Amino acid sequence: MKNLILKDGGIAALVFFVLLALLPAVTGDALISIATLVLMFAVYGIAWNLMMGYVGQLSLGHGLYIGLGAYAVALATGTHGLSPWLGILIGAAISAVVAAVIAFIGFRFSVRGIYFTLLTIACAEMMRISFDNWSYVGGTGGYFLKAAGDTHPLLSLRGDSTFFYFAFLILTAITFLCSAALMKSKFGYFWRAIREDEDAARALGVPTLQLKILAVVISAIMTSIGGSFYALLSGSLFPDTMMGMRFSIEIVIAPIIGGLGTLFGPIVGALFVVPLGEFSNHVAQSTGIYGLNLLIHGALLLVVVCFMPEGLWPAIAKRFGRLRAPAAAKASTPATEGQ
Amino acid sequence: MAKQISRRTILKAAAASAVVGAVPIRSWAAESAKIGVILPTSGVFAFPGQQSRKGIEYAALVNKERNGPNMEFIFADTESKPENGRVAAEKLIRQGCTALIGAWDTGATISAAQAVETAKVPLLINIGSAPQITEQGFTQIFRNFASVSSMIASAVTRIHELVTTQKVMPKSAVVLYVNDTFGQSALASLDAIWEKAKVPIKIVDKIGYDVRAKDLSVEVAKAKATGAELVLPITRTNDAIMIVREMVKQKYNPMAIIGPGSPGPYERAFTDALGKFGDDYMICVPWWNPRNPRAKVIAERYEKMEKGNRFELNVGFSFEAVEVMADAVKRAKSNDPAAIHAALKTTNIEDHIMYGGPIRFDEKGQNPNIGVALLQNRDGVPTVVGPQQITMAAPAFPMRPFAGR
Repeated sequence: MKNLILKDGGIAALVFFVLLALLPAVTGDALISIATLVLMFAVYGIAWNLMMGYVGQLSLGHGLYIGLGAYAVALATGTHGLSPWLGILIGAAISAVVAAVIAFIGFRFSVRGIYFTLLTIACAEMMRISFDNWSYVGGTGGYFLKAAGDTHPLLSLRGDSTFFYFAFLILTAITFLCSAALMKSKFGYFWRAIREDEDAARALGVPTLQLKILAVVISAIMTSIGGSFYALLSGSLFPDTMMGMRFSIEIVIAPIIGGLGTLFGPIVGALFVVPLGEFSNHVAQSTGIYGLNLLIHGALLLVVVCFMPEGLWPAIAKRFGRLRAPAAAKASTPATEGQ
Repeated sequence: MAKQISRRTILKAAAASAVVGAVPIRSWAAESAKIGVILPTSGVFAFPGQQSRKGIEYAALVNKERNGPNMEFIFADTESKPENGRVAAEKLIRQGCTALIGAWDTGATISAAQAVETAKVPLLINIGSAPQITEQGFTQIFRNFASVSSMIASAVTRIHELVTTQKVMPKSAVVLYVNDTFGQSALASLDAIWEKAKVPIKIVDKIGYDVRAKDLSVEVAKAKATGAELVLPITRTNDAIMIVREMVKQKYNPMAIIGPGSPGPYERAFTDALGKFGDDYMICVPWWNPRNPRAKVIAERYEKMEKGNRFELNVGFSFEAVEVMADAVKRAKSNDPAAIHAALKTTNIEDHIMYGGPIRFDEKGQNPNIGVALLQNRDGVPTVVGPQQITMAAPAFPMRPFAGR
């Protein structure tokens, strides 16, 4: 059990969360807002990793759930005057239903591998285009949250950067613990069995359809809650920003760089990717060379991908010897499934 | 006996004065006010973002030359991502910025506004036209730029002035609009104002297209099929180029193409790409005042310094934002954000480079006196052809057919 916790980065995660909880006390600079972004991408990464890292289902349409969560909380508070807590729940419920429908359509009709990925992209794009042309949500003109009044932050869920920092820290901790608990449950073992060989798992009596749908739904709920807090943080919502391909691709970088199929990988990935973006941005600003940030960012990501193909966390785990590197996730492909 | 003042005494006093004068007296004026600038200098809005930055840097240079207040500008790039507006604002505030300028696009501006509202640091908006910006109840924002609705209202007035003074009056118009934040707001405003202004031209169709459209042949064909004599494109730069190219290809020669308050056709990218076919295109936008001698000198000097760049509205309003900020810092006599905020609230600048009335901010933080000029591209250069008080040339109306150029 102790080895299992070590292997899955439990201690590292505990140390990480304790250190992050102390961060506002020891820093008064821009680190807080950057750390908030790190945590936000960690939440999305953990949620996405649940599907890809553990079940082997590649989704490039997770922006859809971010958007649903974001719009739900914005419309609940802005248009209907409801509590943002209720808005978050509504967003999570809608996301769960949408995810279940997409997953059922996909998996019931054996849409696998890259075709399932295309299905997720298509659904996200369909929703984005619908939102683009839906006046209730502001269409392409966007939806904007009013300035936060004097309401208590815990009621309005709006506050200063420290408030959002702790909000995302708690959310990251909860998603991490949920993910860890799921991994150690029978579902986790079933999911990994599906990832390794779905047909063999089904032959052994694993209810693959239901379990895959469950993974997609849980992943969508986590992502949706992250999206809700993102909307409260940002204050402006556009279908293209929330549900566009850019965001869907951005959120998968951290778990891939961090290490697919590991608990702590998405957090390490976010810890690397976001500050890297900030660093390259700083270099570009200092030199005055526009676009240099994107070049540096891309080049450094390329270096990591080339030299640490399994991701940062497995590489760190190997480096420190005591930890056994987790198995890399393997996306099922039509080719392998056909055999 | 009274002590006589000798020459030696005077010399001693003079020396003492010189020593005292040489010792720097620490005051607010000796310290630089740190001004944060949030702009999208990379990503999809990189071009206007970079132009805006050039305007800020140029204004900083001019401010120094004029012995304006000490101001240090710290830049932050949003990478054209709305969510980065807040992060950039918080970063700059934590770096000691006591006032901010930015953020060019609406998403990033609203995002930054959340942060400045909490930190109680004023944000002066150089560019950002969505009406919602000043309607969300933010107390720390000041916008020295026209909202889409006011820009469109002025644009309709310009169009009305133009067509009623011509010998031949167009009877119908078609709107081509980019389906994004700006395009939708502009179209909604145009719909509301066109009827109210009693423009004697019927809008026969409104044709939208996706912001990422790679081809507009179908949309232009639809517009041509309406037989409209006036084309009103609400565009960005690339789509404006695509529209004109398609019109040339499809031999669609309306009486005029008039952009009612959208960016793009005054930019060098547009005039360089289209050459003679970009001429006669008209656009209603806030612009620098060519009748203001100082504005003329500033614009000409900029174009000499920045070869290949034009002193257009991104540069102009960013330049003016620095002048507004300098005025506020000077009057605040302090680098305290609250003092700068109070000074910005009482801004009243009569003589400034952009066309319009005095720079003042209403209770929502909006400058209601932004003027809108009617520009027409002439030999690849946007030339002011309206309103009468700042016009530099008579408008070419109807426009020349593309084939005869």
